[in-house]
Amino acid sequence: MPQLTQQFSQTSLAGSPAGAGSYYGSQGSLAAPQSLHQHVNLLSGPQTIDFEASTSVIEKTLPSSRSASQSPTSNCAPVWKRSTINSVPTTQQVLNKSRIPFGLLVKPYRQLLPGEEEVPVINAPQVVRCRRCRTYINPWVTFIEQGHRWKCNLCFLTNDVPSFFDWNPDTRQNVDRMQRPELTHAVVEFVAPQEYMVRPPQPVVMLFLIDVSFNAIQSGMVAAASKAILSSLQSIPNTEDRTKIAIITFDSNLQFYNLSSVLNEPQMLVMSDHADPFLPQPYDLLVSLTESMSQVQSLLGKLPEMFKHNTDPGHCLGTGLTAARKLISPIGGKIIVLSNSLPNTGEGSLKMREDVSLLGTNKETTLLHPQTAFYKNLAVTCSPSQVSVDMFLFSNDYADIATLNGCAKFTAGATYYYKAFNAKRPEDSVKFTTELSHFLGRALGLEAVLRIRASRGVKMTAFHGNFFLRSTDLLSLPNVSTDNAYAVECQLTETIVSPLVCFQTAVLHTSSNGERRIRVLTLALNVTTSIADVFTSADQVAIASLLAKKGVDRTLTSKIEDARDAIQHKLIDILGAYKQSMTSSGQAGQLLTPANLRLLPLLCLGLLKMNAFRDTATIPSDLRSYWMALLYVFPADMIAMAIHPQFYALHTVLDADAQPPMAKDALGRLPMPKQLNLSSERLDRQGVFLLDNGVELFLWVGSAVPPATVHALFDRPSVDQVQVGKASLSPTSAQTPPLGRVVRDLIAQIRADRMRQMTLWPHLYIVREDGDPSLKTWFLSHLVEDRYEKMPSYPQFLNQIREGLAKYSSG
Amino acid sequence: MNGEGLLFLFGVVASAVLLFAMVFFIIMFSDLECDYINPIDLCNKLNQFVFPEMAGHAFLTLLLLLNGSWWAFLLNAPLLAYHIQKVAKQRHMYDATEIFRTAPENKRECFMKLAFYLLSFFYYLYRMIVALLADD
Ligand SMILES: [Zn+2]
Repeated sequence: MPQLTQQFSQTSLAGSPAGAGSYYGSQGSLAAPQSLHQHVNLLSGPQTIDFEASTSVIEKTLPSSRSASQSPTSNCAPVWKRSTINSVPTTQQVLNKSRIPFGLLVKPYRQLLPGEEEVPVINAPQVVRCRRCRTYINPWVTFIEQGHRWKCNLCFLTNDVPSFFDWNPDTRQNVDRMQRPELTHAVVEFVAPQEYMVRPPQPVVMLFLIDVSFNAIQSGMVAAASKAILSSLQSIPNTEDRTKIAIITFDSNLQFYNLSSVLNEPQMLVMSDHADPFLPQPYDLLVSLTESMSQVQSLLGKLPEMFKHNTDPGHCLGTGLTAARKLISPIGGKIIVLSNSLPNTGEGSLKMREDVSLLGTNKETTLLHPQTAFYKNLAVTCSPSQVSVDMFLFSNDYADIATLNGCAKFTAGATYYYKAFNAKRPEDSVKFTTELSHFLGRALGLEAVLRIRASRGVKMTAFHGNFFLRSTDLLSLPNVSTDNAYAVECQLTETIVSPLVCFQTAVLHTSSNGERRIRVLTLALNVTTSIADVFTSADQVAIASLLAKKGVDRTLTSKIEDARDAIQHKLIDILGAYKQSMTSSGQAGQLLTPANLRLLPLLCLGLLKMNAFRDTATIPSDLRSYWMALLYVFPADMIAMAIHPQFYALHTVLDADAQPPMAKDALGRLPMPKQLNLSSERLDRQGVFLLDNGVELFLWVGSAVPPATVHALFDRPSVDQVQVGKASLSPTSAQTPPLGRVVRDLIAQIRADRMRQMTLWPHLYIVREDGDPSLKTWFLSHLVEDRYEKMPSYPQFLNQIREGLAKYSSG
Repeated sequence: MNGEGLLFLFGVVASAVLLFAMVFFIIMFSDLECDYINPIDLCNKLNQFVFPEMAGHAFLTLLLLLNGSWWAFLLNAPLLAYHIQKVAKQRHMYDATEIFRTAPENKRECFMKLAFYLLSFFYYLYRMIVALLADD
């Protein structure tokens, strides 16, 4: 009981004979911070699940009216960029004392939500930037000398305001500079003038590298892929017919296709030299999509038939990638790999190294590290020629995502994983086709570099995400997708003297319509001298996201055990620091957090329990690597969902007293039901529940669900006839009862929303309370507040934390 | 000139070469920090010197062992062991994706090796002179 001893020593130091006096004294000081900051005692019971609250913090700590234009859109919304703390202390000492990791999560490119305002595009005579630090003019600069000059909000140099800010030479009229989008919007896009181009803007280039070996044919992947690509050809961005396309297939040899528009039929050229893949007729292999449309269509139409009887188990992915890179590296572009087995021929061959006896032991990490540097090295050679690699992996057994993801990781691509893919199963083929079509049709930026600038005194120490770090602060992104997010860790190197700290992210890229553009996102944060402000402005979702990304990084550079320990220690450190600086000794028996961090322990527990980090022998290494790859690119809201799945009761959504009432709004959207705590106590034998972990949806059906509900949802007479496992609900028909309709609409809406956030179409798994036990266990593994395997329940975890805090004394 | 004298003459030359190699490495790392070179070029440049450096040092150590120069051999053994374990753990090559994270560490290592080669240089020089004097 260190708290108690401290109290006693305080009493004796004060030398007061009236011990009771100091007791009341401490009571008095206890009341004060409580009224100021609203402590939450976590031991007092389950917390309401509400992650949205934290997103309004930024407007509270720094009203947008403090910007130059006072426009409500002056500061970055958290979906674009969010910081772990919304009030930055003046010194690193205060930051260290708070123990909160300081970092940003940035998603510079994203698909807009329905009804969301477009990002303003600025085509001004000149891109206005600070002369010294090259910051783009933004809403948080200050105008001085009667508005003739502007003071940079990052380095504080004064610069001239160009005349076109106040005067329109075309209309010969005065204009109000405060209406200019660069001063009213935190997120803008400048059309880059000539000097931002080192070469003519790159066209969209897509090279499909398709596995046609035995497994790929058997699983039906080749047929499904050919069909999906064929039907998406028209939606591939193809402004001014500049888009180029190539197709290479491989088994133990490489097959190139001459798609020249002068040919009637595409010609196949087989290459079997793995040592030095040379490129036959490169000009006819990489062709204009518009000119060779009929050849491409004809090839994709015939591909499944051509290899239908292929029994070659060989797989020369390494050679294929090398050849593909050579083919498109003069221009740059995307290599889209579709692979159904482990590479086993030529360079980059991989061993089947999965060993279940290693899982859950201290050797497990070796399976999470790449087994060869080949794919990473290949990515490093892709990066300077603006080539990016995306991996679609479909393995039956072992895909070695840990190794193959290296290609995507360092070229700003992504890895898509379809475990045990079987095109005959409609759910599998719908998921893959939907994702591939979305992937091909989505907006993309090419040959991009991303740089984050920060106010003087702030230093960026580490970056997380899929990119290649080209200099200390320049991220090379051969292409920017609307999916990937980036995280940055920051430090204060000197005392902050300005009232604001600003971060400006600039992405110089070529848009898919061939225009060179600079997307600029400016985030301004309040500066404070008080540690209390640091705590009360902290963003629990951002902190948990940063911890997740650091955990992945830790696993890949060191060990998974270290990553787990680091997460738990960080949580104890933060709560300990809060206890030390913000609470008084009278509150020793409690576990206090500020209201805005009250879900942080739960998020950390979720992180420790999820597939990427759970200490268990039951998670195959591919699945772990896949989840780690996801966490590394996920934006904060997706990470929150992955570590703390969303959990809803569906059987009550149409009840008269349901909150919120289930009615479509003006945009045709249904409100999401109230989120439940992730505890099996919430389950009800007569109920139906939906759980969404971002990647999969689970429909839990109780054993005593009324027949009417079963009929509405599953079109079956009774629960025991409901089929479990990967499934889809029958389409809505005129006879579908209202509950069935709403549930189907909700699932469709969740999927549509997900596709807007990520190229990810979640499978639906039906889990019956009295059904397949392994499926049930899998479902229960998401209930973060319960005990699971050797992982503690939430109350047990809080007790562990409280014990861990014993070494920290209250202030 | 006797065998020992020749051996230490070789030692002097070799450690001087290794010393310059380390200076070159350190300059390259500083260039990286100042953005004068990109990580890919840096790693391509440095990696071609990694094995020659290790081989040069290993050859010299072997000669010292064969000659029975125990003190000189013991002086070099730890570095040789360090190099061997680096190769065994496949950590001897510079990795362009990790270089910004590991640069301070790499630079420190280069400085330490620089000091070591400098020390070796003077030691071999001394031994060479002693050997030459004994020869006379
Ligand atoms: Zn500036």
